[in-house]
Amino acid sequence: MKKLVLFSFILLFLSLLFFTVSDSYAQKTIKVGIVDTYTGPPSTFTIDVRDGFEMAIKKINEKGGVLGRKIEYTTRDEKFKPDIGLAMAKELVLKEKADILMGTINSATALAVSDFAKKEKIPFFVTFAKSDKIVVDKGHRYVFNMNENTMMAGRAAGYALGKKPYTKYWIAGDDYEYGHSIANNVWENIQKYNPKAVLTGQTWWKVGEADFTPYITQILAAKPDFLIVATGGSGMVNFQKAAKATGLAQKIPFYQHTATEHSVLKPQGLNAPEGVYGTSNYFFYYPDTPANRAFVEEFKKTYKREPRVGALYGYMTAMFIAEGYKKAGSLDKEKFINALEGMALDSPVGKLELRACDHQLVLPIFFGKTKKDPNYDFLIAGDIEVIQGKDYMPTCDEVRKIRTYKR
Amino acid sequence: MDLIGQIFSLKVLSQIFVGLSRTTILFTVSSGMSLILGVLRIPNVAHGSLYMIGAFTAYTTSVAFGGGNLGFWMSLIIAPIVVAIISFLAERAFFQFLYEREHLMLLLLTFALSLIFGDFVKMIWGAEYKSVPVPPVFQGYVHLFGGLPFPLYNFFLLIVGPIIAVILWLLVNKTKIGKIAMAAAVDREMVSAVGINVSWIFAVVFVIGCLLAGLGGVLVAPTVSVTLGMDHTIIMEAFLIVIMGGLGNIWGALMGALVFGLAQSLGILIWPQFGIVFPYAAVIVVLLFRPRGLLKSTW
Repeated sequence: MKKLVLFSFILLFLSLLFFTVSDSYAQKTIKVGIVDTYTGPPSTFTIDVRDGFEMAIKKINEKGGVLGRKIEYTTRDEKFKPDIGLAMAKELVLKEKADILMGTINSATALAVSDFAKKEKIPFFVTFAKSDKIVVDKGHRYVFNMNENTMMAGRAAGYALGKKPYTKYWIAGDDYEYGHSIANNVWENIQKYNPKAVLTGQTWWKVGEADFTPYITQILAAKPDFLIVATGGSGMVNFQKAAKATGLAQKIPFYQHTATEHSVLKPQGLNAPEGVYGTSNYFFYYPDTPANRAFVEEFKKTYKREPRVGALYGYMTAMFIAEGYKKAGSLDKEKFINALEGMALDSPVGKLELRACDHQLVLPIFFGKTKKDPNYDFLIAGDIEVIQGKDYMPTCDEVRKIRTYKR
Repeated sequence: MDLIGQIFSLKVLSQIFVGLSRTTILFTVSSGMSLILGVLRIPNVAHGSLYMIGAFTAYTTSVAFGGGNLGFWMSLIIAPIVVAIISFLAERAFFQFLYEREHLMLLLLTFALSLIFGDFVKMIWGAEYKSVPVPPVFQGYVHLFGGLPFPLYNFFLLIVGPIIAVILWLLVNKTKIGKIAMAAAVDREMVSAVGINVSWIFAVVFVIGCLLAGLGGVLVAPTVSVTLGMDHTIIMEAFLIVIMGGLGNIWGALMGALVFGLAQSLGILIWPQFGIVFPYAAVIVVLLFRPRGLLKSTW
C-alpha cells in the first residue's frame, strides 16, 4: 500500500514536471493548428500538404526559427465533416492556444473555420479547399488562400482553350459544386475568347460514379468537337480509364482540370490516355529550374516519393508564415497580417505574391497535354503553356465588385 | 414503325449492352450480399469493404505478375480467395456467436468491421489511387452494330455475368449444402433439429457470399481507379438492389441489378443532364408497386 502511494506521488510529481516543462516550452513556440482530412480518399492530397509544410518548418527551425521561436504544429483529422472540422479548429485555438490555423481540403469546413477565424481574429491559411467563395465572396482580413480555386482553374483553362479552333462544346462532370463551378468558369471564359463556341449538350453524374462507359457512349454519339470534363478526386482516374477503353480519348479531345497531375497519371502507368488537356499548379519535373530541382530532391530524400501539388502549397504556407513574422518583427497578429499583404517570396515555381486585396496567392497555372516520356514509366504533361496570374485571375476590382454584390 | 425503329436504334442497343455489363458487377456483389442476408440474416455493411479489399488485392496480384494477362487471370483466382479467408476468420471470430442476436447488433458489428477494414486498407496500400490495367487481351474496343464503340472488357463482363449466375444456381439447387442452406433460411431451428451442424453451413454460406464481393472487386478493378471510398459507393447500390429484388432472394438480386443497370444506362440516353436520377427513380417505382421487392423475400 505504501509503495502504491509513493508510486502515485512520484507519478504525480513527474506529470507536473512534464506539464510545466511543456508549458514553458509552448511559450517559446509559434503554434500552427492544422485541421484537415487524413482519412479516406482526400488523404491522397492532404498528406502532401502536411509533409511539404513539415519539411519547410524543419528547415526554418534548424536555422533558429523566427523571432527566437520555433514553429510547431499539431494536426487534427476532420474526417471530411464540416461540423467536426469547426469543433477541432475551436479546440485548437481555445485549448491548444494555436496562433495560426491552417488546412482543410473540404470547402464547407474551410468556410466554417474561416468564419470562426474572423471572429477570433486568428490568421487562417486555406491549403486545398477549392471553393472561390473562400477569398472572393466571403473573404476577410484573416483568411488567406494558398492554392488555386475553381474560378482560377476554370478561367485559366478557358483562356487557353478559347484560343483553340473548336466550336461544338459538350460539358460533363460530377454533379456537385466543384464540378459545376469548374465547368461554368471554363465555359464562360471560352465564350469570352471564342465567340463562335456553342454548347451542344451536358452530362452530369453523381459524385463517386465508378463506371463512365454509359455516359461516354452517349457523348460519342453526339459527336462534339471538344469535351469539358469537370471531375474531381478518384473520378479523374475513372474517367481517363473509361475514355481510353471506349476510344473517346482518340476521337474527341477533352479537358479535365487536374488531368496532367502526378496523382492522376502515376497510378495508371503507361496505360493513361495521351493528349488529354489539363491544368495544374505544379509538376515535379516542371519548371526545370535549380529551385524546383532542389525542392524535389529534398522532398524525395525525406519522404521517398515525388512531391505533388499539395507539397508546394504546404511548403509555401510555412515560408509565408515565417517571413511574415520576420517582417512584422513581432508576434502581433495584426502586424503579421499587414506584413503578409503584398509579400512576394521565391518558390519552386518562381516568385509568388500574396495579393493584398483578397489574400489570394498569385500562382502560375500550367496548361498542358498528357504525353509519354522515355524517362518515366508514367505519363507526364507536355506542350506546357504557362498562364500567369494577371492573365486569368479575377482582378482586385472584380473581387470587390463580387463582394459588394453578394453581401 | 418509325417509333419502333427509334426505340431499337443502334444508340439504344449499345446503351443496353453497356448497362448489361454494368449489371454483371452489380449482380456479383449484391447476390453475395443477398445470400448472406437471406440465409444468415446479417445485413452486412462490410460487404462493400470486402469488395474494396478484392480490388486492392487484385492490384497487388496484377503488379506481382507483371500487370499483363497472367496478372489479371491470377488476380481473378487469388483475390477472391484472400477475401474468402478474411471473411472466414471474421465469421469464426465474431459472427458465429451472434446469430441469435438482434439484427441491430449484427448491423453494428458489420459497420464496425467496415470501418476497421477501411483503415486496414489504408495502412497496407496507402491513400493514393491505384489502377489495375485492362488485361491486353481485352484492351481496345469494337464497333457494335457498325456504330458506337464498345470496350472489349465490357464484352468479357457480359460473358462472365451469366456464368456466375449459372454457377450460383447450380450451387444453390444441385448441391446438398445449397439445399440445406436454403432450408435453413426458411427454418433454422428445424434444420438443426434434424441433426445438421448449422454453424458450419452458415460459415460456408458467409464465405461464399463474401467471395462474391471479392470477385466483384476484381472484375470492376480494370474499369475504375482502385481507391479508398469505393466501398461506400457500391454498398449503397447493393443495398438498394437487394431491397428492390426482395430481401435474401438471389434471383431478386439479379432482377434488381438488371433494373438498376439498365435504368442507369438508358436514363443517360433520355436525359443526360439528370442521368443520375433514373436508377433511383426505378427503385422508388418498384417499391411503390411491390413494397416487398420484385421476387419473394425470404424474410
